[in-house]
Amino acid sequence: MTDVASDPYADVQLLRGRAAWIRVVLGLAVLALLPLVLPGYRLFTLNYMAIFVIVGLGMHLLVGDTGQVSLGHAGFLAIGAYATVLLMTELGAPFLLALPAAAVVSALFGFLLGLPALRLTGPYLAIASLGFGLAVTLIIGTSPAFGGHMGLVVPTATVGPLRLGGDVAKYYVIAGVTVGLGVAARNLSVTRVGRAFRAVRDSEIAAATLGVDVAYHKTLAFAVSAAFAGVAGGLLAVTTGFISPGVFTFTLSLMFLAMVVIGGLGSIRGAVLGSALVGYLNLEMDAFQELPALGPLLEVFSERVMSVAGLPNVGWVATGGLIMLAILVEPGGLNGLWLRVEKRIAGLRGRGGRRRSGGGA
Amino acid sequence: MLTQSIAGGLSAGSIYALMALALVITYKATEVPNFAQGEMAMVSAFVAYVCVTQLQAGFTVAFTVALVFAFLLGVGFEGLVLRRTRDPSHLDLIIVTLGFMLTLFGLAGWKWGADQRPFPFPVSTSAVVLVGDVAVSALSVATIVIALMLMLAVFAFFRFTKLGVAMRAVQQDTVAARINGVPARRVVGLTFGISSVMGAVAALLTAPLITLDPTLMWDPLLKGFAAAVLGGLNTPVGAVLGGYLLGVVENLFGAYVSVEFKSVVAFLVIVVVLWFRPSGLFGRHHERKV
Amino acid sequence: MPFLSVEGLTMRFGGLTALDDVSFEVERGSIFSIIGPNGSGKSTAFNCVSGIYRPSAGTIRFDGEVVSGRAPHRIARRGIARTFQNLELLGSETTIDNLMLGRHLHMRTGLWRGMAMLHGRTKAAGEERRHRGRAQALLELLGLEAVRDRPVGTLPYGTQKRVELARALASEPRLLLVDEPSAGMTAEERAEIAEVLRRVRKELSLTILLIEHHLQLAIDLADRVLALNFGRAIALGTPERVRADRDVIRAYLGDG
Repeated sequence: MTDVASDPYADVQLLRGRAAWIRVVLGLAVLALLPLVLPGYRLFTLNYMAIFVIVGLGMHLLVGDTGQVSLGHAGFLAIGAYATVLLMTELGAPFLLALPAAAVVSALFGFLLGLPALRLTGPYLAIASLGFGLAVTLIIGTSPAFGGHMGLVVPTATVGPLRLGGDVAKYYVIAGVTVGLGVAARNLSVTRVGRAFRAVRDSEIAAATLGVDVAYHKTLAFAVSAAFAGVAGGLLAVTTGFISPGVFTFTLSLMFLAMVVIGGLGSIRGAVLGSALVGYLNLEMDAFQELPALGPLLEVFSERVMSVAGLPNVGWVATGGLIMLAILVEPGGLNGLWLRVEKRIAGLRGRGGRRRSGGGA
Repeated sequence: MLTQSIAGGLSAGSIYALMALALVITYKATEVPNFAQGEMAMVSAFVAYVCVTQLQAGFTVAFTVALVFAFLLGVGFEGLVLRRTRDPSHLDLIIVTLGFMLTLFGLAGWKWGADQRPFPFPVSTSAVVLVGDVAVSALSVATIVIALMLMLAVFAFFRFTKLGVAMRAVQQDTVAARINGVPARRVVGLTFGISSVMGAVAALLTAPLITLDPTLMWDPLLKGFAAAVLGGLNTPVGAVLGGYLLGVVENLFGAYVSVEFKSVVAFLVIVVVLWFRPSGLFGRHHERKV
Repeated sequence: MPFLSVEGLTMRFGGLTALDDVSFEVERGSIFSIIGPNGSGKSTAFNCVSGIYRPSAGTIRFDGEVVSGRAPHRIARRGIARTFQNLELLGSETTIDNLMLGRHLHMRTGLWRGMAMLHGRTKAAGEERRHRGRAQALLELLGLEAVRDRPVGTLPYGTQKRVELARALASEPRLLLVDEPSAGMTAEERAEIAEVLRRVRKELSLTILLIEHHLQLAIDLADRVLALNFGRAIALGTPERVRADRDVIRAYLGDG
């Protein structure tokens, strides 16, 4: 039962109680100490996953909270990446300025995509966003100003005195940005704007009659999620050192949509888990034969039934399969599984854990 | 030049129209746009390819096998996957089709790799036919004719056969259809089968032009979608018209303005049309009662 | 000056005329009922007042200002709130969060303040605290404290109706539109809801405009009644007078 006399702010408080604080401090400590334990290429993997997580946070706000569809978010990633790089190379802007500026540019395009979204629903919106993503990639790919098919080399960024040359330095910056944006997204989601988003998703009519400006919030959701993807794009450029239009494909947009679904639509924890997983899969797709038990099995199967040259495509099969499994078996996604495990553990402890309902953090 | 552009546009438009129509009939039955359609078609084309190259079958046999495969794939997907979707919100269903699309893409790539294979076809890509005094690709003509015939057959089927009428009933009002004794679930499955066959034909007509590889149907699918949306997702005739319109406009733009931005034009047109008519050129909007 | 004045309200959908030149006035602080058989245009009238429909003709004035044809969220800002016959609750959200949606108009936390809610002393936190407090008071007024943190989708129908009412009240309206409050209720529940509406009118100084299919409830609650049939006004006046009106009786009896 709720203790009515307690602070109602507790409903939306991020860290409730000492246990939560301890967990967070420990978690941050682990994050800070990881580079001491992990080799460079693993840090690269984490950086790559974090970039997906940042996009996922934005997708959570747009798709999970506001209920809109976007099949073109790779376009915003591209805008963020190219804007960051061009600001650094053409205008000599420092990374610390270029990245937020790129986010703003991305947000502007997000707003532009939000405008047709005001009139379009479901599949129509999906197609429009799909077209948007493709148009961006096409324009970037054919314009010499953006380096055309060859792409652009990313100059080494500096953040203050810190030179982002190696994976470690990049890791700290990316981890910091990810945690910061994660908190920001979570806060936005539980406060007034987040509630308005969910009202737009569940009942535009109720939202409007309660004073919610539906048009504003829809375009805002697009702009904010585009900004997140834009930041991710800038960080991607810095992480990989090189960007080309071939990266920002429709399949990537598909991944972005799929990851919040796999994670569990409507929950931030789900978005983070799903994004991390899909990011990992996307990166390691070529390395499936190196999996401990599964690897050799896949190789044998490839030789006998499929083709060895085509083995990297297993990643697509896995992701596609995961997507279908998520919907068919566990609509709550990874977050749904997490909650089930939590309940089991609470049940075993015998306390029956009376928790605040309302879903994941 | 103009005639050839238009012929090419009608040919491409035929493919788009086929895909668009395939999309619309399943959308009308389930309110789900089947994103997996392109990959289902692509896999069917590969089945034909395997029949011809590895099993030494003739074209007729190979194509028939491919179409039967496509039909079963469509029915199977609907029955085993779509129908099993719990709590089917529209977003969930869209995502399931996207997942299936990805899975098929991966499987095709895994099995056949990314090598582009020339697709053997009864009509050669370089053969030419004379229309008036202009030389037009024979393949284009064949595509237009075959596609038209298939679409007319499908329209006739829906109009005049008992099964077809049942399908239309299910599309319009599933509950009412059931009350009248229509086996709705079976009908929806059949709709997916027919849609898949149409997609397979589109793939078989596209493959000779582009060569066969797992990304074969990406562009046709997207354009087919765009055409369906342009015409209006719940009007079959609108979708077909949209397909031809898109094909011709795109080709003319490519011939006279810029080849590189040809595809972008398609989507820009869509966005502009949808801005003024959010349900497509011929579609109708459903207002929810409050 | 009447609080709400509806003049010549007409609503046409293609060939169908749902409302035909309907006029009535609502006095501040009163309860006004609109009755009529199914399809008589009651919900259409509500949708016009709350801005979901733009009237084909006619003017609706609220506290002197024209509201007909305005966007729903702007009308809400003027102080009009409503419930829905088919309930438009956010099923996966808790009761308190549904009520907090009702507080949207009165809060100011936007994009930046929302993201920056890092600790209990921030502006956003203060707003959450204050407005949750007010929402809590409403929960208590309507007897909903027990289900504060339950997702509303899991609540029984009658409770859901109370939540939707509470949510509308959370926006502190001056005019409340209640859409078929007794739909799906037993006789006891009907009496309860009538009592709730009377209490709410008194304690929150509200004016209530009510659509009610159940004749007795409408008559009992209302200070004035408008009877519609096929989109036209067939009787307007005190409950007793309307109830005795021959056209009204015929409309209802004819309806079966």
